[in-house]
Amino acid sequence: MNDYGHDLLFGSFVTPVAQPAQHGVDLALVSEQAGLDLVTFQDHPYQPSFHDTSTLLTYVASRTQKIAVSGNVTSLPLRPPLGLARAAATVDRLSGGRFRLGIGAGAFWDGIARMGGRKLTPAQGVAALREAIGIIRDAWDPDQQGPLNHEGPFYRIEDGDRTPYAHRPIPIWVGSYKPRMLALTGAVADGWLPSIEYIDGGLPGLADANHRIDDAAHEAGREPAAVRRLMNFMRASLVPTGQGFLDGPPEVWIDRLTMLALEHGISTFLIGGDDPTTLTRFGTEIAPAVRENVAHARR
Amino acid sequence: MEIGVLLNADSAEADELVALAQVAEDNGIGIAVVTGNRHADAWVVATWITGVTDRIRVSVPPRDEPFDPAGADSAVPAVLAKAVATLAALAPERTLPPGARWTVVDADADADAGSVRDAAGAGIPVVPVHTAGDVTRLRPLVAAPEPEAPAGRPHRSALALAQRMPGIAYDAVPAGLAARAVEPGDPEHRAVASTYLRGGNPGLVLRPRTVAEVADAIAFARDHRDIPFGVRSAGHGISGRSTSRGGLVISVGAMDSLEVLDRSRRLVRIGPGRTWKRVAQSLVSHGWALGSGDYGGVGVGGLATAGGIGLLSRKHGLTIDRLRAVELVLADGTPVRASDTENPDVFWAVRGAGANFGIATAFEFETSVVGQVGWAQLTLVSTDIEESLYRYGQIASEAPTDTTVFLVTGRARQGQWVVSLFAVVDHPDPDTVIARLTPFLDLGQLARQQVVMTAYPGVMANAVDIGPDGQQGFGEPVSRSAFIPELTRQFAHEAAELLSSDLVYFFELRAMGGAITEVPSDAMAFSHRSPLFQATAMSSSDDLLSAEWDRLRPHFDGLYLSFETDRRPERLLDAFPGPVLERLRRLKAEYDPTNLFRDNFTIPPAELPVSTMAGGEQTFETEKAA
Ligand SMILES: Cc1cc2nc3c(=O)[nH]c(=O)nc-3n(C[C@H](O)[C@H](O)[C@H](O)COP(=O)(O)OP(=O)(O)OC[C@H]3O[C@@H](n4cnc5c(N)ncnc54)[C@H](O)[C@@H]3O)c2cc1C
Repeated sequence: MNDYGHDLLFGSFVTPVAQPAQHGVDLALVSEQAGLDLVTFQDHPYQPSFHDTSTLLTYVASRTQKIAVSGNVTSLPLRPPLGLARAAATVDRLSGGRFRLGIGAGAFWDGIARMGGRKLTPAQGVAALREAIGIIRDAWDPDQQGPLNHEGPFYRIEDGDRTPYAHRPIPIWVGSYKPRMLALTGAVADGWLPSIEYIDGGLPGLADANHRIDDAAHEAGREPAAVRRLMNFMRASLVPTGQGFLDGPPEVWIDRLTMLALEHGISTFLIGGDDPTTLTRFGTEIAPAVRENVAHARR
Repeated sequence: MEIGVLLNADSAEADELVALAQVAEDNGIGIAVVTGNRHADAWVVATWITGVTDRIRVSVPPRDEPFDPAGADSAVPAVLAKAVATLAALAPERTLPPGARWTVVDADADADAGSVRDAAGAGIPVVPVHTAGDVTRLRPLVAAPEPEAPAGRPHRSALALAQRMPGIAYDAVPAGLAARAVEPGDPEHRAVASTYLRGGNPGLVLRPRTVAEVADAIAFARDHRDIPFGVRSAGHGISGRSTSRGGLVISVGAMDSLEVLDRSRRLVRIGPGRTWKRVAQSLVSHGWALGSGDYGGVGVGGLATAGGIGLLSRKHGLTIDRLRAVELVLADGTPVRASDTENPDVFWAVRGAGANFGIATAFEFETSVVGQVGWAQLTLVSTDIEESLYRYGQIASEAPTDTTVFLVTGRARQGQWVVSLFAVVDHPDPDTVIARLTPFLDLGQLARQQVVMTAYPGVMANAVDIGPDGQQGFGEPVSRSAFIPELTRQFAHEAAELLSSDLVYFFELRAMGGAITEVPSDAMAFSHRSPLFQATAMSSSDDLLSAEWDRLRPHFDGLYLSFETDRRPERLLDAFPGPVLERLRRLKAEYDPTNLFRDNFTIPPAELPVSTMAGGEQTFETEKAA
């Protein structure tokens, strides 16, 4: 039993395909209509058939009213931290606090290098992400005055401009799987954002990862509950296909999500598949039932 | 008049800037340029504006610093470019076209339209605003009318005019050409900017329909020596740079007629813009054909000025071997007719180096009698490409001349090469066709075969028709060509090595010989009569391909210019052996002394006696190339 007591959030995990151009926008509107809390988009700038996720997120936020938006997850090596902080703070201000910063150390290094980004080893990538998160929080901090200066192993800033957050600190959610990244997540992140398909070892693997985050949080003097636990379900289907964790009629989803919330502390559920009907039923049928189950169990 | 506001994120917060853009739109202002980043991200603000307004176009000045991965505020140029493309796709017509120029103008309260326009020069005036009052103050300017187009010229919006490029006297386009001229801001520009294999963004495309208009267009080109200049017929150039960035293109694509001049002599007259697919379709009812290349989309103008090594060549010769007369407009605007008896020097030069001498406006050919032919497309899989190439070389060169077979392959996949054979057997008897093709079937494992008896249009039908969107090539093709006197074991070995690297994605061998060899090598500027094959290799890396191709040179004897993109000066001698080049240079000095026609294997004019020299420029170029 490992419930951190977070309020539950439900959302979508959308592929930012460039064709048709409005694909992502339409699915965001469907998500909002369905009452979902969040719409998130993969970020693979080197993938030629995708939109630029940062622009898409901004545009989606401008065309919606209530739903929050996030990259899932933003590729740090192609989006250096000070500019990223500024863009995030700007969307957050304009959207009335609807931006979340899902971020990762970078995957597909060849694609990153092809696009002109810096190729790092996995270990360097982790260190660069930690440094970047420090820079981003510094840039957002409304209590800091004067120019931002920074001299680190991966980034330098001389007299940088700050872009303080307008509403409340923007949550930083880190996509991570391996021990070093999980440790970083527990130490500094506001959330953990993996995909269930990539967690080795099924539910025991999930429990193990949660423990690592908890331990790292303790070590950093934080409460494990400071780190929200999110989860992507890339293969989620209402008709049984035998492929994904969410695979079957709504009752199956409701049971499994309730279990994940109560036993593994997962409090944010993001589903892929880009199917409007599934998103709608997720928001209107499944999410309320899971909320009710969890509220009931927590009483 | 068209006017923009400048919103500065250095001095205001994002929400204030968005509110100003909304006021601007409400006051009829068409453009919001967002700059700065001290308080907000300009790109986010611009994107947001498109989401919450209906009409106003946005722009963010490009950042042109190089990317520094350690610079926490640096940006990856390719990511920025992608952001621009994404917004253009999400919000069509809501971003300022990338080529549109604007000028910051500080318009004070009583500024009048004329002075604002003068201050903005060739750009759209963009006025810094900080308050809603600053915006509403611009209302009289917005209401001011745009200047009229010069008499007889099409009207263009201020936005279109702002996309005009430097160095081009747009208002001096001769009146007859103006109506059909395409400028960067015109809706049609996208359809004419690029060619089949090359991305482009020309500053002006002139589209003459008559010889007189071609002469006018050439005069315009003479007055624009400082920008690139390309000649286009059907836009399938590889060596021929028939598009450019910022240059002038004269496209004779509309001159695409075909008429039969003399039935008994099978003489036809064809405009340069016609594609070989359409030529084939027009000739078939007479029982005639004109050998062209292997692709129906190629144009008459580019191919019939260079050679034309095609699937009927072993039987009927090169395309230029069937040419009886050509009409072209020279650099000084003079129309000339050239044949064996009229301007024979020009006739000699056009057949192989035509792009250097003028713009061809009509070709007269003696067609061949061609009925049903065997047309085969065979796909084979080879695990030993050296052996496949070598055997192909043997079989294709020993085949009877009614049989012409081209071989195409590329990169290996898991140790296997897909080898495609394109074969025409000019023989009406299906059994003979099968007999001719059978030796080729075991060059590899036969994966797919399609053999039909058809007329020549069936062979040319492979090309898709170009629709109103035009051609959308991008980047620059990287291609190498060589004539192979004989396909030796050693060549096959080294070519196989080349094909075992990832470098070459397209490799073609075109079988020659037969009727091609029957023409004396000094009969025309195309002089490569004896090689048995023409080889083409295409890659995405110019440098790497050069290095590899150079290693194969001992096997080569010259090159076919149409498939060569290397611009190193030595290539000129490969295309035109010494004496041919000498003659071409003398003729160039006579007919195009200033080297106006320079988009395709430029031949430096020979140095003229001082008395007849037209200027200093060509002397310099001659020395450089010599
Ligand atoms: C897919 C493909 C297959 C091909 N197959 C063959 C083949 O089998 N055999 C073969 O011989 N060639 C072949 N070619 C090469 C082709 O012949 C040349 O690229 C030719 O120049 C294309 O002519 P175009 O009019 O379509 O091209 P354009 O791009 O319009 O013109 C190319 C160049 O030709 C010159 N030119 C064009 N029009 C004129 C004119 N009216 N007067 C004077 N000069 C002019 C200019 O230098 C111009 O830059 C092929 C090309 C492609 C793309």
